[in-house]
Amino acid sequence: MSDIAAVMTFHPQPQAGAPKPWAFPAPERGALGNGLTVLTCHRPGQQIVAVEVLLAAPLDAEPEGLDGVGTIMARALSQGTDQHTAEEFAAELERCGATLDAHADHPGVRVSLEVPVSRLDRALSLLAEALRSPAFPEDEVKRLVANRLDEIPHELANPSRRAAMELSKELFPAELRCSRPRQGTEETVRTIDAAAVRAFYTAHVRPATATAVVVGDLTGIDLPALLGDTLGRWTGSAAQPRPRPAITSDDTARVVIVDRPGAVQTQLLIGRTGADRHDPVWAAQVIGTYCLGGTLTSRLDRVLREEKGYTYGVRAFTQVLLGSADGTGAALLAISGSVATDVTGPALGDAWQVIRTLAEGGLTDGERDVAVQNLVGVAPLRYETAAAVAATLTDQVEQQLPDDFQAGLYARLAATGTVEATAAAVSAFPLDRLVVVLVGDASVIAEPVRALGIGPVRVTG
Amino acid sequence: MGHTATPEAHSSGLTATEHRLANGLRVVLSEDHLTPVAAVCLWYDVGSRHEVKGRTGLAHLFEHLMFQGSASVKGNGHFELVQGAGGSLNGTTSFERTNYFETMPAHQLELALWLEADRMGSLLTALDQESLDNQRDVVKNERRQRYDNVPYGTAFERLTALAYPDGHPYHHTPIGSMADLDAASLEDARAFFRTYYAPGNAVLAVVGDIDPQQTLAWVEKYFGTIPAHDGKPAPRDGSLPEVIGGELREVVEEDVPSRALMAAYRLPEDGSRAGDAADLALTVLGGGESSRLHNRLVRRDRSAVTAGFGLLRLAGAPSLGWLDVKASSGVELSAIEAAVDDELARFAAEGPTPEEMERAQAQLEREWLDRLATVAGRADELCRFAVLFGDPQLALTAVRRVLSVTPEEVRAVAAARLRPDNRAVLLYEPTGGGQGAEVDEAGEDDDQDQEGDEL
Repeated sequence: MSDIAAVMTFHPQPQAGAPKPWAFPAPERGALGNGLTVLTCHRPGQQIVAVEVLLAAPLDAEPEGLDGVGTIMARALSQGTDQHTAEEFAAELERCGATLDAHADHPGVRVSLEVPVSRLDRALSLLAEALRSPAFPEDEVKRLVANRLDEIPHELANPSRRAAMELSKELFPAELRCSRPRQGTEETVRTIDAAAVRAFYTAHVRPATATAVVVGDLTGIDLPALLGDTLGRWTGSAAQPRPRPAITSDDTARVVIVDRPGAVQTQLLIGRTGADRHDPVWAAQVIGTYCLGGTLTSRLDRVLREEKGYTYGVRAFTQVLLGSADGTGAALLAISGSVATDVTGPALGDAWQVIRTLAEGGLTDGERDVAVQNLVGVAPLRYETAAAVAATLTDQVEQQLPDDFQAGLYARLAATGTVEATAAAVSAFPLDRLVVVLVGDASVIAEPVRALGIGPVRVTG
Repeated sequence: MGHTATPEAHSSGLTATEHRLANGLRVVLSEDHLTPVAAVCLWYDVGSRHEVKGRTGLAHLFEHLMFQGSASVKGNGHFELVQGAGGSLNGTTSFERTNYFETMPAHQLELALWLEADRMGSLLTALDQESLDNQRDVVKNERRQRYDNVPYGTAFERLTALAYPDGHPYHHTPIGSMADLDAASLEDARAFFRTYYAPGNAVLAVVGDIDPQQTLAWVEKYFGTIPAHDGKPAPRDGSLPEVIGGELREVVEEDVPSRALMAAYRLPEDGSRAGDAADLALTVLGGGESSRLHNRLVRRDRSAVTAGFGLLRLAGAPSLGWLDVKASSGVELSAIEAAVDDELARFAAEGPTPEEMERAQAQLEREWLDRLATVAGRADELCRFAVLFGDPQLALTAVRRVLSVTPEEVRAVAAARLRPDNRAVLLYEPTGGGQGAEVDEAGEDDDQDQEGDEL
């Protein structure tokens, strides 16, 4: 039906207009009388205000045998206070049209509030209540523990989460908290009670070691007064946060298959640890990782998806586990995706070939240019909402980075050349230092994977 | 009458102008200069409801082919050019429509318009067997990843098939069946394009930091010479009786982590006042941590890990109210079902309290503000109202309509529709496969979008 094309008038590809300036927003940094650090950022037009509070209650601080107490504490913050029962608190929050999430991760606990700006005062007062006077009722903690135990089988059944769990266990020494599930295991969660939750709260939650980030259209809001009346009433000692543990890992090349008899796909997670944002190589590593597997047109998907049709998509990415100003932090460098069971061997073989080719021939200038144009160009899109800006500002604090890190990153990305990006990609993904986790049908995939010779293969349950 | 979060929250100051090209393409423009970005969104009035027997999944497979090049764009060029310009893009397919969207830095807007016009006008010059075979494999892997290889992954498909009778246009979901995907031919794809990818069957919205006159001139330049073509058959009638008339049940024995009770209730069509009332009813009953079902099942009875209601809004057939309860260990589904029935019956008799009404309206209002917080979200809403209801301006007043619903209307729709004889029920019983020792983690959780399938 080329007649349709024949009728349409074609025009040459248009050229870009003049770019308009955009910069990652600079927050104002201050502190309340109780020592709480506050970052604020006015974003005109953003009617939903995002508030993130970072508590210096890292998973590493959980007492021996109580993995998951941080998670239960985070959830229990909103399950009753000195002024409201759990049900009342949830009702009051939803009456504001607000959402409140809290989760515990390696660097600390993050509490995230989103609310229409007109109800910010009421929602902030509820947030402050949750932080300064949680009741941790025994019955509610019992319920949260039981609920958490019931969640565990669902997580085990999810192929991508199961793979992430296995990779952490493989990479990190057992004594490091990051080798174990963030939200605890059945064995550890079972032992958590209200006393343990309160003890963790008392030891690690206080304004002097916390940071609040407030982003949105703050026109007409007297934020200092509002914060003073809410989060400003939170009290606690001035004790320093605990030092962060140094992260070590064993990335000796090997393959672990988590057996899933009958699975129609194999979940892949290939990883090791590498530089975090404090390392000068970060910008080059971001570009190199993008070129390898950041998108559908990156090297991995060009072969695995768009040529072979083995997958719906495979991505290479970096995820900071713990960013530390002293250089002992680490990021997970990984490739993940799922491939049809019967092509698991060929797909892994192709992935290895893609990485080998990159190491041998390097990236092209064109690839580097497109990557930089994308990574820098999408910034105004990516940071349209208050929540996105707040999340990055909070990440920076959590990773001990300066407030202008992201703003400066764009200039560093633009200044990074092809040679540096190639070197970073090659050292991020060396074929002899990659741990491969496969969640799939071992009876079908183990032999083809062994035949690849990419490392010893072990099958687990 | 509800209250509002902000004086202008009804529309967030959103305005839109409408235009129509001679070839029938409808264009909606909306200016907002706060951030130097512009969203392009193109809705084609075609979805899985237009598919015929033996060719389920064709609309979605075709959506993938739209990214495989056109007359002026080689191979993956559409992706490469947009991403190289600092933009982001994708496409999705649902029962009722297929949408394509690019969000661009404002100075790259013209490129996105040129790309969309090129494939609307000339896709078939580039479409070949190799692309079709490749994307067929990709889509089959998408199906495995999102539905077949995850616990409860086929629940949506099973409930939809129960709630809409065999032969009904919504009986099957957009992902389609493996057998039908295998059967799709190049000629099927070509015919699909010729039938549905016409300028008169599409709405283009451009939202953000734009000059409307310049934008319209570009739209005219690039889209204006695409020939009009008609011949799209009317979709098969999706109307059904208001209630099913008897409960439909299916027991699924699978290797899932826990028992689960899922159900789909037939609800009023999207775009109706009763549809908004149903949304509020589902929010009060199962829309958050202060909802009745959460309080009853998760907090008090402690019989469920999670319990909630969702709404699948549909304009061309009854919408579906979506109940999803994952049981706590050792709890029988009969106990959960009795509790759910008890709560629904009580709600149908009493209706929402004033406090519940206020909370539900506040939540739906925030969800609306969330959708409008990005230029892409706004463009999509304008397209939605233009395609499904013939008037993009309705997007500007949507939240006002939700806030004007009365408690009695909410009670009435619950009494009429949230009844055991108006639902399809899925009962999951685990077969007890083996499990490992512990959990994690880090989970990039799969984004389970119930209504559509992405590129």
